[in-house]
Amino acid sequence: MLAHAILSGLVFGCYFTLVGLGLNLIFGVMRIVNLAHGDVVMLGAFAAFWLFALIGLHPLISSVIVLAAFALLGLPVYYLVVPRLLAARDSEMLSIILFFGVQQIIEALATIAFGTSERSIPGRVLGRGPLHVLGQTLPVAWIVSAAVSLLAVALVYLYLYRSRVGTLTRAVMVSRDEALASGIDVHRVSALAFAIGVALAGLAGVFSPFMLGSATPAMGGDVNLAAFAVIVIGSLGDPRGTMLGGLIYGVALMLMQTYMSAWANLLPNLLLIAVLLVRPTGLLGRQVRRA
Amino acid sequence: MRRGVREFVTVALPLLAALALAPLVYSNELLLFNFIMFLILAQGLNAIYGFTGYLPFGYVGFFGAGAYGFALAVMHLDATPLPAMACAGVAALALGVVLTPLLRLSGAYFAIANLAAAQAVYQVISNPALQDITKGPYGVTLSSVFAPALSYGVALIILAATLILVAWLRNARFGLALQAIREDPVSAAMAGVAVVRGRTIAWLLSALIAGLAGGVFAWHISVFYPETAFDLSFSIFAIVFTLFGGAATQLGPILGVLLLYGLYNVIGITVPQYFQLIYGVLIVLLVLFLPDGLASLVTRRGFRVP
Amino acid sequence: MSPEPLLRVERLGKRFGGFRALDGVSFHIDRGEVLGLVGPNGSGKTTCINVISGLYPPDEGSVLFAGRNVGGRKPHLLARSGINRTFQSPRPFLSLTVRENVEIAATYGRASEAAPTVDVVLERLGLAAEAARRAEDLNSAQQKLLDLARALATGPRLLLVDEIAAGLNPAELLLMAERLRALAAEGMALLVVEHLMGFLERVTDRVIVMNAGREIFDGTLAGAVRDAEVVRVFLGGAAHGG
Repeated sequence: MLAHAILSGLVFGCYFTLVGLGLNLIFGVMRIVNLAHGDVVMLGAFAAFWLFALIGLHPLISSVIVLAAFALLGLPVYYLVVPRLLAARDSEMLSIILFFGVQQIIEALATIAFGTSERSIPGRVLGRGPLHVLGQTLPVAWIVSAAVSLLAVALVYLYLYRSRVGTLTRAVMVSRDEALASGIDVHRVSALAFAIGVALAGLAGVFSPFMLGSATPAMGGDVNLAAFAVIVIGSLGDPRGTMLGGLIYGVALMLMQTYMSAWANLLPNLLLIAVLLVRPTGLLGRQVRRA
Repeated sequence: MRRGVREFVTVALPLLAALALAPLVYSNELLLFNFIMFLILAQGLNAIYGFTGYLPFGYVGFFGAGAYGFALAVMHLDATPLPAMACAGVAALALGVVLTPLLRLSGAYFAIANLAAAQAVYQVISNPALQDITKGPYGVTLSSVFAPALSYGVALIILAATLILVAWLRNARFGLALQAIREDPVSAAMAGVAVVRGRTIAWLLSALIAGLAGGVFAWHISVFYPETAFDLSFSIFAIVFTLFGGAATQLGPILGVLLLYGLYNVIGITVPQYFQLIYGVLIVLLVLFLPDGLASLVTRRGFRVP
Repeated sequence: MSPEPLLRVERLGKRFGGFRALDGVSFHIDRGEVLGLVGPNGSGKTTCINVISGLYPPDEGSVLFAGRNVGGRKPHLLARSGINRTFQSPRPFLSLTVRENVEIAATYGRASEAAPTVDVVLERLGLAAEAARRAEDLNSAQQKLLDLARALATGPRLLLVDEIAAGLNPAELLLMAERLRALAAEGMALLVVEHLMGFLERVTDRVIVMNAGREIFDGTLAGAVRDAEVVRVFLGGAAHGG
């Protein structure tokens, strides 16, 4: 039972990495908190559901469509709100409130459009029969979701560390002011990061029916909490930390569900608070100097 | 300090008088009570967010702790309402003390950790495993102490005390010191301000206010569920009302509650989704175009807002 | 034997992770003396000020202020006992008025009965006309003055001045130098971190040259300019640790 909990925890951990990745990228580059992140995940789930229900599209194909469409959706949102937000004195704090407003808009529109009933995609769509991994049996849908998540993490890593615009992005992460002063087109870099962040949230949404259960317009809040826990454990703003945070979160969740299922829902919150109090900068965070 | 008294008399007293007399001419007492409750919550949040800059996203945690402090005292200690109100305050204060280490965090970290803390308290209280103590997810019934008129009066007294506190903060040296901490804690320390003590006091005062609001809420409605007492909307509404009117003033949060909660009651009850939509758009516009609230329209022209 | 100096720093050490920002610095300042603190970037000057003003506790060594070890005390307590400072980039309370900025320090940080009133401080630094303006509306030279005003309002006996000259025009520089000399003439001890030679020449009685977390020279500015190691450090870019 322990081995099963740990293995499935690692598999879920890969998926939770994906859930936190977009949120973390946006925070890392722009120092703003996209509180609507969970609702974008919800939109991704509904996109996958409707593409499957209406035209029978396979979720793997939907995920490509969602990635592209959500990235394109993210760009105008960026230019409408983010530059103005960043000009404000306390943009980090105000961003929480602003994106709460965006969250309300998305949730309201989704409720009006989709109603409040639960939507799901059967797991067998991603492959039949359980898979045997290291002596344990796991649903194929979990493995596929985890594999896609790992692929997405790898692509983001390549983007940040092997591409020119990725280098610029990391420069903005280190210091926005200095990047601005050295002539980097900070807004273009940020807009790209924002679009990628939104697209990653959408991608996480496509696989959420297999990993998180049925989709409803109100699911965003819970997704947010998980995503926050993941990225805070890892270190806000550090994409490598997200992977560590995701895996710790996944394993801890599965252990809780196996041995203390009544209290499993407490986990993200307690883990988040504990990590913040012990290491306010996250497990991979640098020691920050005061003053 | 004389200015503080004057501002209290001109701003808060008319409001308190109107709310005291309103039940005589207007029959929807629950709505009036909700106005009082949001006025208390917005001003309590103002004390911590407006004056020290910490955004307590989980402010509702104190409210819920107060509501359950009241309920548990009534259910298990057979307490009468007033001692139970004291328990509400103590419960919220105790939670505030437990969460004091969160003040070491800044910016988004604090807001997120505070939200997580409120959720954790909710998950503990609503857990079916604790049904014998808290009634878990099934909610509590306090019909033995139900007294709408009396609890309405007590709510008004709490509001009055809260308004006195904010009028004092707005005009006393301590309020100025808190604002200095908000602007720059390092610089504030070099000005001789005891930074840690200052913000801890503001934090606990603000927790106490929310706890008392939760207690009187439990008393007034007497039947409620954990998801009612820990509804995140309480935090959000209090934040948005305060922000809309103008934080760190006495008048701002009052205007925010009267205008926005008024709007909510005009359109919100019948079609919640449409209200949610309008509300969302309003919040976005507010942050983008009026981040310092209505009060800033006046202060920008060099006038003082009470 | 001369009386005990106002500030005596002994073998002060401060590490950040593996980096030794201060590596056994020792010096003293007398009442009425202006001591310059110079050195390449990263040599530990600002860390030195941060430790003396209580922002960081020292890892080693002691900070003796008027004969008592105050190392590791909280900054607000140090402010109240007569140590204050300005910041390299000024840190006023932006949304408060100039008067409120100074008032807070005069109220909470008062180190002696003799501390000047808010009006006196504003008058002295030429900020009286700006008293009702918000700090965020001041230009950067005025914000520097406000930072200084905030420190002076507590009536400090020791004032740590971190690169106050940078960005000032020649007339403002001259005025600032005169103001600092006037403070010293009243008996205040000043520690001045600065890069501008002309300014140092005008203001300081004596300088300490720091490199890689330790002092390598203690004497007059003219002497420092002739010192072989000082010259090597400044021309050779030999500062370690950036």
